[in-house]
Amino acid sequence: MYLKYRKLKNLIFHFSLYLCAALVLIPLVLIIFFVFKMGATSINLDFFTSLPKPVGEDGGGMKHAILGTLYMVSIASVISIPLGLLCGVYLSEFGKGKVATLLRLTIDMLTGVPSIVIGIFAYITIVVPLKSFSAMAGGVALSIIILPIVCRSTEEILKLVPGHIREAGLALGLPRWRVIFNIVVKGNLSSLTTGVMLAISRAAGETAPLLFTAFGNMYLSYEIDEPMASLPVQIYNYAISPFDDWQRQAWAGSLVLIVLVLGINIFARTLISLKHIKFRYRG
Amino acid sequence: MNNIVLSVKDLNVWYNDFQAVKGISIDYPEKSISAIIGPSGCGKSTFLRCLNRIHEEVPGARAEGEILLKGRNILGSKIDPVQVRRSIGMVFQKPNPFPSMSILENVTLGVRLLGVRDKSKLMQVAEQCLRKAALWDEVKDKLSQLGTSLSGGQQQRLCIARALAIDPPVLLMDEPTSALDPIASLKIENLMSDLKKDYTVIVVTHNMQQAARVADYTSFFVLGELIEHGACSDIFTNPKEQKTEDYITGKFG
Amino acid sequence: MINENESFIEESTKFNNLVDSNCTKSKVFNFSYQLQDKINYYLIKSFACLVILLLIGLVAMLIYSALPAMEEFGLGFAFGDDWNPVEDEFGALPFLFGTLITSFLALMLATPVSVGVALFINEVLSKKLAAVVSLFVEMIAAIPSIVFGLWGVFYLAPFVKETLTPVLKSSLGFLPFFQGASFGIGILTASLILALMIIPTITSICRIVFKTVPTLQKEAALALGSTRFEMIKIALLRPSFSGIMGAIVLGLGRALGETMAVAMVIGNSPSISASLFSPAATMASVIANEYTEADSDLHLSALCYVGFLLFIVTFTINGLARFIVWNQSKKVGG
Repeated sequence: MYLKYRKLKNLIFHFSLYLCAALVLIPLVLIIFFVFKMGATSINLDFFTSLPKPVGEDGGGMKHAILGTLYMVSIASVISIPLGLLCGVYLSEFGKGKVATLLRLTIDMLTGVPSIVIGIFAYITIVVPLKSFSAMAGGVALSIIILPIVCRSTEEILKLVPGHIREAGLALGLPRWRVIFNIVVKGNLSSLTTGVMLAISRAAGETAPLLFTAFGNMYLSYEIDEPMASLPVQIYNYAISPFDDWQRQAWAGSLVLIVLVLGINIFARTLISLKHIKFRYRG
Repeated sequence: MNNIVLSVKDLNVWYNDFQAVKGISIDYPEKSISAIIGPSGCGKSTFLRCLNRIHEEVPGARAEGEILLKGRNILGSKIDPVQVRRSIGMVFQKPNPFPSMSILENVTLGVRLLGVRDKSKLMQVAEQCLRKAALWDEVKDKLSQLGTSLSGGQQQRLCIARALAIDPPVLLMDEPTSALDPIASLKIENLMSDLKKDYTVIVVTHNMQQAARVADYTSFFVLGELIEHGACSDIFTNPKEQKTEDYITGKFG
Repeated sequence: MINENESFIEESTKFNNLVDSNCTKSKVFNFSYQLQDKINYYLIKSFACLVILLLIGLVAMLIYSALPAMEEFGLGFAFGDDWNPVEDEFGALPFLFGTLITSFLALMLATPVSVGVALFINEVLSKKLAAVVSLFVEMIAAIPSIVFGLWGVFYLAPFVKETLTPVLKSSLGFLPFFQGASFGIGILTASLILALMIIPTITSICRIVFKTVPTLQKEAALALGSTRFEMIKIALLRPSFSGIMGAIVLGLGRALGETMAVAMVIGNSPSISASLFSPAATMASVIANEYTEADSDLHLSALCYVGFLLFIVTFTINGLARFIVWNQSKKVGG
């Protein structure tokens, strides 16, 4: 009798675990389903090749926003990938002293800073002195967001390289910097690329820090010191507008964004399974 | 034959407060194989690692004394350890080919980073070293495969070839066969005997039979001290010290 | 020093018939190797210092820009419940309230589900299925928050308004939390979205924590004849308690800073109300909404002050989480 009761409890427990999984996976499926359903009906070639049209006119697209996102993500990458890699190398190869402890703390804190606060920082340091919203400010804000991700993934990947690999390099009579860059870093280039790609996919989806740094516009711009549209901000502006046309465009934009972000993400993850790397703090 | 290439004088090594090697002095003649045996934790690996200053990789390690390579003290503060290691190569306990590098890249990396860019020259070095390491015939058709795709014994010979590529007169081996099966070990042993023609080899081993088979000279360490050093034939057949005899006959260790 | 090294090169290369000394000497830089390493080390270190300075600069600039509002309102800013840009009257209490209540609710919803999912992946599923399901869970973390927001506005909000609200009102309507009209957007919707967004964070840390429990202990429990549920309760959940706490606090840190999804579904009204159906605003959402439109300097500065408060809150929470996780790993790692 007692055993039956225990077994029943066990059964209920198992059932509740399945329920939990369902509670998580159903919204995910719903979100992706609706984005694809709403996006697919609004998306067409025009969306990629033309600029927005005034309300009421048919057609129009987000060419400027797609290019803007690519442009600003590139700025962010150029700044933070080398910096993040070097900091990761510093932490894994020389990670003992005071500076390293401080850097580790800094990276931890930077991971935790809300992205909107980073937006404020970019606004104060770049938008205010230049007296204009600019792609530069947006790129810098994004770069601060992905810097800790690149640094942390680099550190964790390089830490997995066993010490005797480094010793083997040193025993060949190579200076330490050769060992670090030509053996340790180069030997793990594919895993490092995965970490970098995950960071980039995150930057591509960020909205909050771009709102008042790159701001957005309705025309095509390649100027680094002028406002620039981006996919997420454009989606936001369209989503909160009262016009059906624009809301449809927002869904189409979301479809492009989600395919872009999840695409990079899944590609990076399946390319190399990053079992040991814990991207825990920022998704 | 009696040309001394490496001479250790009163070497002491500390890890922080712990003294791992106590006042050891040994001379290594050119083109010979010398073995170091002893129970675990007797400081034999530490001693070996000092010989090319790779011990500096361990935080808190510090060596005092003299190690003379052709009469020049390599422990001197003005000597660049990188230069020392170029003259004294090392093979490690675990086969450790560089990750994501082909067999060819593994062998030629050292020379390439020294500034040799000429492809045919690199190829020449690779072939020569792989031949010396008795690996050429097995890998000549798959030089572009990953070094880590080879079997354990082949990997270890690849590591030997890699160390030979920069052509160091002295080669250190830290228990090179302990991670390998008997057949692969035998191949490495044969290889060591071949290497003796051109190189001075110093090998740490926990396998006494191996020392007896391949070495010309053997040193016996216990607890960081050198108990006995001499020609192999003497040590294994007619040891002077009681401790050595006990160890060799299996009474202790 | 250089001379001594040069002689070493000659000595080592004269053995070599292939690598002639000319080749060896054509080094990339004309520095000794020790110098090369030193330059490289200090170069990398200077970049590390740059990043540290960046964070210091970030905090300093935040304080600097919030200074006018700090002088005007002092610490009372955090407790003033009046936010009126038209009359230059600012108090951050409504936003503190909004941030805390949405994050708290999100945690209440997300914690049991996350722990459940973590157990489900680690203990129930086969290795292959576990990889697939955990990939799905991590995909949630990868979805941009603007997409969550869009979905929240057009699907979740109507669902909350038309389905969830009537159910809650009829069953729990006697509580003050579930009274009043629902417009779909409001605290409840924001909390639901937030819960969904932090589930991957909590799940992945819980999984790491569960993995630190030795298999031996689990098997011992099973060998004693306990059911799987009892095993999980005794041998898994109990020893990982503080680790789970750390995961929750880290999830909280993420929820506090989330901006866009919340800004789109919370309604953005700086008011404090007991009803979960009513609109509110969070610290992050008010910055997102008003920053570009702020026309007085004091307004801008007040928003920076809010940002600074947000920074302090998340900083404290993340520090706490790290402390808990660090303590746990010290205990397990021995």
